[in-house]
Amino acid sequence: MTPTISATALGRRYRDQVALDNVSLTVEPDSITGLLGRNGAGKTTLMRIVTGQEFPTAGDVRVFGEVPAENDAVLRRMVFVREEQTYPDLRVGHVIQVASWFYPNWSEELAQQLLADFELPLRRRIKKLSRGMRSAVGIVIGLAARAELTLFDEPYAGLDAVARQLFYDRLLADFAAHPRTVVLSTHLIDEVADLLEHVVILDRGRVVLDAPADDVRGTAMTVSGPVTAVEEFVAGRPVWHRQRLASRASVTVTGPLDNAAQARARALHLRLEPLSLQQLLVHAAGTSADEKVSA
Amino acid sequence: MKTLVNVARYHLADRVTYLALPWGILAFSFLINVVISGRLPSPQGDYTGGLLTIYAYLLVCGALSMTRALPFGLMLGVSRRVYYLGTALLIVALGAVWGLGLTVLQAAERATGGWGVGLHFFRVAWIMDGPWYQTWLTSFVLLVLFFWYGMWYGLVYRRWNVVGLVAFIAAQLLVAVVAIVTVSTMHNWAAVGHFFATITAPALIGVLAALTVALGLGGLATIRRVTI
Repeated sequence: MTPTISATALGRRYRDQVALDNVSLTVEPDSITGLLGRNGAGKTTLMRIVTGQEFPTAGDVRVFGEVPAENDAVLRRMVFVREEQTYPDLRVGHVIQVASWFYPNWSEELAQQLLADFELPLRRRIKKLSRGMRSAVGIVIGLAARAELTLFDEPYAGLDAVARQLFYDRLLADFAAHPRTVVLSTHLIDEVADLLEHVVILDRGRVVLDAPADDVRGTAMTVSGPVTAVEEFVAGRPVWHRQRLASRASVTVTGPLDNAAQARARALHLRLEPLSLQQLLVHAAGTSADEKVSA
Repeated sequence: MKTLVNVARYHLADRVTYLALPWGILAFSFLINVVISGRLPSPQGDYTGGLLTIYAYLLVCGALSMTRALPFGLMLGVSRRVYYLGTALLIVALGAVWGLGLTVLQAAERATGGWGVGLHFFRVAWIMDGPWYQTWLTSFVLLVLFFWYGMWYGLVYRRWNVVGLVAFIAAQLLVAVVAIVTVSTMHNWAAVGHFFATITAPALIGVLAALTVALGLGGLATIRRVTI
């Protein structure tokens, strides 16, 4: 089966800055992929290149097996909801109506339901909306378009927790009924962790992690307990991070722990905690973030 | 084709920009001219440049179609090429209808002796003073020309920002200067004068149409690498 997105050695260089560096990845059809990373890691640039809004300076990207740039047959099969989408000076209802003309799988029923859910005033001009409401307009379009490839780039700037939960619920429900390929970039990693089937972490324009979410969750563990017991347990294991407070230590080790290892940890009265996706990202995103962890 | 029409419909959703403002501004300009003309003693009739407002507005409107309206347009899953062609075709259709409107208004102006005050608002000496179909064709070509010219300005701004815009204007001035200097050094002003004195209305429309197509192609080449 053709992957929905496949990038090969993709690069994007601006005058004095490398936004993407040798990025290779594939996104399989009918999956939800989280595109994670710090500000400026290259997430938006990658999504813009995938949707043909930006051009790569190196490498190659294919969507549905074809080059997306200026390719109408490919472009009409995807929708890209950007963090700060610029809208023309129209009313909310008009913007939604315009969008409905363009997407072949548009669901008016879903659009109306979402408009009601987010309590969007149809008669109000987009300009007059609050930031959160403007984000909600993007979410309505992104979901109601039911595009085969749906990309959300930090779609909920300014949205409150209730509205974000609504977004997750609607996304999952509609995804289950109408499977499609979703790529979601966000900083609120713990909120979306359970949604994701696949995780890609970018750091300074490079892919530092690209794996199924279930595998990622077991990649690293924090072992804590008395210093001696902890040190005995982690001996010979790759250590990411060490923290010590008086006679207690907490050490982050990578690699899966088999049943024997887990039994041994119990015998030593050690606490084992898998690292959350967010903590993993903080580790993966390098040294400056490391200080934040130990603080 | 369906997508081209949808792009045009997308612009038309903004009824203020595409319907209310151009005719509102023209009506306002017209009223002011009527009032002034009524106060002036003018046995020869009053010639105004008031009609220029609708063309100037279309220049701005064209620029807006490629700046303010572009990001959402490209969010809708269309290529730059289709977005550009859809927008360009919209003004071809609007220009044909609006040109007819201007022609009708011109006929009314002629029939009423310049709205009773000797005003030449819709009659422009020489270029828009012939038979109705010439007025219609000239209006049509000029409306499209100004809009497409505006589109190109908007795209230059989108792609190269203010510096690019200044360079774009400077380049056009440079071309004009080179032309003037060339004619002067060759002592050919008489030939230029002769050209404009003898050109027929259809030939002039042809020249304007060629210029319009050139501007349209310039914009099409510029949008190819525009990023949003």
